[in-house]
Amino acid sequence: MSVIDLLINLIEVFIYPGVIFVVFISLLLEWVDRKVYARAQNRIGPYYVGPHGILQPFADILKLLAKEDITPGHVERLEYLLSPMLILYLSLVGIFMIPTGAWGSGYSVIHFEGDYLLVLTLATLTTVFMFLTGWGSFNRFGAIGSLRALLLIAGYEIPLFICAAAVILEAKTLCLSKISAIQGGGIWFLVTQPIGFLVSLISIQAELERIPFDIPEAETEIVAGWLTEFTGRKLALMRLANDVKLFLFSSLVVTLYLGGPWFMGQANIAIFLVKVLVVVILTSIIRALFARFRIDQALSVFWKYVIPLSLIQVIMSLFIG
Amino acid sequence: MCSEYIEIPVGPQHPALKEPIRFVFKIDGELVVGVEPRLGYAHRGIEKLAESKNYVQNTYLFERVCGICSAAHTTCYVEAVERLLGVEVPPRGLFLRSIIHELNRIHSHLLWLGILAHEIGFDTLFMYTWRDRELVLDLIELMTGNRVLYAYNLIGGVRYDIDAHIESQMRKVLSYLRERTEYYKKIVEEDKLIRARTVDVGVLKRSDAIILGAVGPTARGSGVDMDIRRDDPYSAYEELSFNVVVYKEEDAHAKTMVRIDEILESINMIEDALNKMPSGPVYVKTPLKVPEGEVISRVEAPRGELLYYIKSNGTERPERVKVRTPTLANIPAVCKMLTQAYIADIPVIVASIDPCIACMDRITFVDVRKEKVYVISGRELREYARKWYKGVKK
Repeated sequence: MSVIDLLINLIEVFIYPGVIFVVFISLLLEWVDRKVYARAQNRIGPYYVGPHGILQPFADILKLLAKEDITPGHVERLEYLLSPMLILYLSLVGIFMIPTGAWGSGYSVIHFEGDYLLVLTLATLTTVFMFLTGWGSFNRFGAIGSLRALLLIAGYEIPLFICAAAVILEAKTLCLSKISAIQGGGIWFLVTQPIGFLVSLISIQAELERIPFDIPEAETEIVAGWLTEFTGRKLALMRLANDVKLFLFSSLVVTLYLGGPWFMGQANIAIFLVKVLVVVILTSIIRALFARFRIDQALSVFWKYVIPLSLIQVIMSLFIG
Repeated sequence: MCSEYIEIPVGPQHPALKEPIRFVFKIDGELVVGVEPRLGYAHRGIEKLAESKNYVQNTYLFERVCGICSAAHTTCYVEAVERLLGVEVPPRGLFLRSIIHELNRIHSHLLWLGILAHEIGFDTLFMYTWRDRELVLDLIELMTGNRVLYAYNLIGGVRYDIDAHIESQMRKVLSYLRERTEYYKKIVEEDKLIRARTVDVGVLKRSDAIILGAVGPTARGSGVDMDIRRDDPYSAYEELSFNVVVYKEEDAHAKTMVRIDEILESINMIEDALNKMPSGPVYVKTPLKVPEGEVISRVEAPRGELLYYIKSNGTERPERVKVRTPTLANIPAVCKMLTQAYIADIPVIVASIDPCIACMDRITFVDVRKEKVYVISGRELREYARKWYKGVKK
């Protein structure tokens, strides 16, 4: 490997379409989310920092970074110190496997047969770390919040994986880049698997802990849930990780059902970002339209309706495939 | 260390509580098995202060007992003093008093509906109801010059008359509000998630409501047919036509529906009052010194029955004023509702009585248990400190 190859790799990982680009886009998506949510509620939303408040998420993160970073005396130090970094890190690694169409290529930064499964595993791992931090923070609200996060996993992970099976059955590959390329050459899986798209949208709503499934951090019940003991830099990292997760899961939906970066036979990052924007706006509107489920109600929704729906999707794609 | 149950403190500072009160919940998994309320964080000594002010000054003092139901407090107070004085308030003044009281109720119930929506994580409804509540506040500002503390009720009448412009504006806003409230009623009746979070949650049986002395919408949501406006009419309520809203379902959803229907009733009532409004003066002058005697006055505040007891010794200052606010009457009921509830339902249940802690805390410990409370809190504090340090050493 020559020096130039190494340099290109480094740029791909750290600058474009790597870490810096991802963080930048994630924060912009947070702004979109907040703005859409606010407009749906007849509010103005972020307004002062930058034009129409577009820089507000950046300002929030900077503010949190400058705040005092308190480590309570009674927490499990290892989990407490590591988990903000790990959650952010895992979400970032996930995005490297999403074909963003950067440099006009239809392949992601890292791509191999089976990267789809790795992305799903990383998503589960972030929740496990959330549980560990909440549990290790020795806070009663944190403990309840993290238990709820674990309970919720039993609801949303299963339909998400079953839908993954449906997509894999139709695409006959485990590589996300190839899955999106197949749709680029033919029709979007949204058309062939509309139920899968719906189920994925609902599941990522739970994965991202957004209304109606923001149960693990339901503020009126358990303060901030597993996040209760976090301040300063660690909270900033957690919030950033949340935004990156929003980007990761909406781009996962785009890759699986909306043809990823492909449009008219060409891979293009602008197309990709527009599709991500559409998914983010969809999830924001869902967030504005619903109230919060109770944990038992959320689980029964998933087991009574969402999982059977995803099974129907698998059977359908078996017949289509 | 302690028992098989985890204890969760909620309050005095907690996002679900807008005001300081403390509940210690014993929980088993997600189920609440025991509740221990502690009141007194917002004690302000208003009753004692009232003894050192004259009757006119006290009107403004009692307005400050509660920012939300300020009209109810002043109405109750001035009617009590008027009864001691034996003055006849001009009928137009009484009608205006009823109007401000009902406007007060509409804004309080809209505010409460928003808070309930917020507690179940439905922030969109919260934003919408609070936007509509602004219109009521604007109307009140137009009528009295103030948004929160109106200084409208006086001993002997009200401060300002209304003219044709205010009346037409009022009718316009009210018809818009009726439309909005009917829309919210439809949402609360039909939305699956709101139903899932409120139906069969925080059930207060009719017999329990009566035994525990629940008042206001909390009792009416449990099928207890009581309303001071009808049972013991004051101001102009004898001449106004209205229905007492009673729901028999006994849960948080019924309490919500009671309040929404009461908004609609209040709108009708104000329009009725505007139609029947007699002409004439709105205020009569009253002497500063109040003859000796005792009086009890009751009004139906947005949260339920509000009671004032005044003892006069013939001077210009009251000898004793005792206030019993509706929230205090509802605290035993809310503790009953909270046992065997889920943690996720705590905010909804606490919100379902529409607690107004600052009103309540003035009374609880002033006379009855003043000394005792300090003893308890000191011991609690020491115990807490000991436990805390044990935990740290571990």
